[in-house]
Amino acid sequence: MDKSYRIFTTISIVCALLIIAAFFAGCTTSQPTTKPVTTPPATTAPVQSMTTTVVSTPAPTTVVPPTTTAVVVTSTPVPNYTPSEKTLIVYTAASLKGVSGKLGTEFSQAYPGHTAVFNLDGTQALKTQVENGAYADVFISASNSYTNTLKGEGYFMNSTVKPLTTNYVIVILPATNPGNIKTLADLAKPGVKIAMEDKTVPAGTATYAVLANLAKSTYNQDWNKSVFSNVVTYETSEPGVATKVSLGEVDAGFVYESTYTAAPKDTYSAITIPKADNYLQTYTIGVMQQTQNSGTAQEFEDFMLSSIGQQILKDYGFRPVS
Amino acid sequence: MTRSFLEPNNLLRTLTVIGAAGLIILVTLYLALPVAALFFRTTPELFFSSLSDADVQSALRLSLITSVISLGIVILVGTPFAYIHCRNTYPGKMIVDTLIDLPLVLPPAVAGVALLVLYGRVGLIGRYLNIFGITLAFTTVAVIMAQIFVASPFYLRQAKSLFEQLDPAYEQTARTLGASAFRIFITITIPLTASGLVSGAVMTFGRALGEFGATIMFAGNLPGVTQTMPLAVYVGMEGNFNIGLTISILLVLISFAIMIAVRFLASREVQHA
Amino acid sequence: MLEANLHKQLRDFPLDLNLRVNPGEILVLMGENGAGKSTVLNSISGLLKPDNGSITLNKTPFFDSANAINLPVEDRHIGYVLQNIAAFPHLSVAENIAYGMKVQHIQKDLIIQRVNHWMELMDVQELAGVRAGNLSGGQKQRVALARALAIEPGLLMLDEPFTALDASSMDSVKHMVKDFVAERRIPCIVVTHRVEDAHDMGDRICILSQGTNIWEGKSRDLPAVGNGSVSKYAE
Repeated sequence: MDKSYRIFTTISIVCALLIIAAFFAGCTTSQPTTKPVTTPPATTAPVQSMTTTVVSTPAPTTVVPPTTTAVVVTSTPVPNYTPSEKTLIVYTAASLKGVSGKLGTEFSQAYPGHTAVFNLDGTQALKTQVENGAYADVFISASNSYTNTLKGEGYFMNSTVKPLTTNYVIVILPATNPGNIKTLADLAKPGVKIAMEDKTVPAGTATYAVLANLAKSTYNQDWNKSVFSNVVTYETSEPGVATKVSLGEVDAGFVYESTYTAAPKDTYSAITIPKADNYLQTYTIGVMQQTQNSGTAQEFEDFMLSSIGQQILKDYGFRPVS
Repeated sequence: MTRSFLEPNNLLRTLTVIGAAGLIILVTLYLALPVAALFFRTTPELFFSSLSDADVQSALRLSLITSVISLGIVILVGTPFAYIHCRNTYPGKMIVDTLIDLPLVLPPAVAGVALLVLYGRVGLIGRYLNIFGITLAFTTVAVIMAQIFVASPFYLRQAKSLFEQLDPAYEQTARTLGASAFRIFITITIPLTASGLVSGAVMTFGRALGEFGATIMFAGNLPGVTQTMPLAVYVGMEGNFNIGLTISILLVLISFAIMIAVRFLASREVQHA
Repeated sequence: MLEANLHKQLRDFPLDLNLRVNPGEILVLMGENGAGKSTVLNSISGLLKPDNGSITLNKTPFFDSANAINLPVEDRHIGYVLQNIAAFPHLSVAENIAYGMKVQHIQKDLIIQRVNHWMELMDVQELAGVRAGNLSGGQKQRVALARALAIEPGLLMLDEPFTALDASSMDSVKHMVKDFVAERRIPCIVVTHRVEDAHDMGDRICILSQGTNIWEGKSRDLPAVGNGSVSKYAE
């Protein structure tokens, strides 16, 4: 082979490698805060519309881009509020699935030209996505402890983090009540099928707390044990539980009161949990440090906290912040 | 006689080499980097300590057992089915042909909903099963059913293609020598299509092992009963990152091991020839 | 004796043939591509079903459309070597030859005896354990032939059986087939396109064209090559 040809081949391969390396270097830059982009870049979390399915897009093995964990984003936020951009990405706890449509419509009416797009998923999933580089303008969390973690990791503009609304836990049954559940005690009956959220889901943590409270105050640890042995599935989001109950495939499920209140009549029966034993979940809302639309984001938060937003939440069964 | 670099011939060849090299490297990195990233995100200590976690072990056991059973059923039922389907014409054959491919284009979550609506305790068929006390939803059986539903096309299509392409002269000759259809199937058809069937089986196993959407919908998520490795990864990623990572790595290792084993077996078979 | 009376609609024309082969007789079937020769063999073997007609071997009805008789292929006990040879590539030479005998549940010792006998006759003893997929064309052809003959069939049909053989084995194989047929007194049909094979093998020759028999007679009466109309059917 011609020696010059061989040299040329080597050089071309090196060039190819450099091109590839440059390509990947560009891809793995996590946050484009220094780049003047107008639209949010492609993220690991798909932006879902309000009509998202109950289970968010599952990935058997979540591909984690090679970023370091929980790096505090040090770039300074844009000092003056940028003029409102068109679309706001709101990461929202899944239990707001039913109300998100109305919120979006009303927000656009109150602030013409602005749209809110809701990425609905279990708060634990959203937290993981954000921690791994996903882009969000606003984050509505169903769990104080997740909010605090994200605050500590620097993902929030901490001053904007405020309580949004609250929710109690309730037990729902399919309208036909196939399990013949009349009281909370019946949940421990052998053969009853119960659906619950996984303990990493805020609604799951709340449910665990509720059951512990009930065991301590009214029923006993055996009851608690029996209830857990009746659990047939630990769903990864609160609406997942609601679906299983509405399909009649389980006898009972633990969800938020708002899910029951907002559902069409005759979808579910319910058994309320005494307030003393119940767990009041507090939702928080906050603007993300990384936001490119801090003006619109703040407007959205203001809207959610305003009497209009709060009334919509109330209509859908959420409780006000006390 | 030396050629200038800029002569058209050399330039074109060079560009081709750059293009080809770039393409190979790009594809390799795209496939390899995410997998490598899994390994780099954890440490050996974290990995091995996670292995002793009860949920990890039960997910591993459940996944392997259900996937093997699913594969077994697909092979035992699917092979004769594919053979009979190929060797005969019958009314509705074209519809069956299309149905075999259906799970491939159906989103797994949709498959899960369909299974639930059919076999769940208030399902079209499930309600009658329920009368006899047979429950399918939220059981390990449901996991197997979901796996079979989504993974069987991989094997069936492969088997169909192999049987169709097998030179009919072999089976015809065997018939003239007096062999029954069953004997021909066992002594001629299967041995001559075996290596292709194995590769179909490997794909089927991989798909069954990685099944998520239909499983979580139809079988639910219960550690030890229905929480297969993919479900455990998903839950783990959001709660216990290290557990999720460990299971992801396990899935990668198992998949690699299977593929290498199959390639090794295939190459040995070639050597015998 | 084989008597066959076949009618089958092929793509462009109907196959309409009457033939008869006596015990110990070799009938050579010739004709252009697509004339229907393989269809004739496939019909007699049972792999194809004629539209109507009848096929009888030594008073055993293979096929009779009038009486709805159609004996399955497996039960006809014929030796048929297809045009594409089809030596089972995954089985050894010995296993190939033994295949038909194993089906008949012949005793193991007898099988071994016969297999050795045929391997010797076909000069493939050294290849006994070799997988047929690794053999040359000529070796495969000899193995396929041995495999068909080893079951001691009541009828022998060979479709282009000499095409892959090299000159050295050609003569001995031809002799062997002729001896076998004569000794066992079974009818035999050989399809070939080569005139010298026809002369060597055929007691009688039948030329098929467009599904019909256009010439039949003793091999010595076959018009010599180069003679106009008939020669063109012997390519």
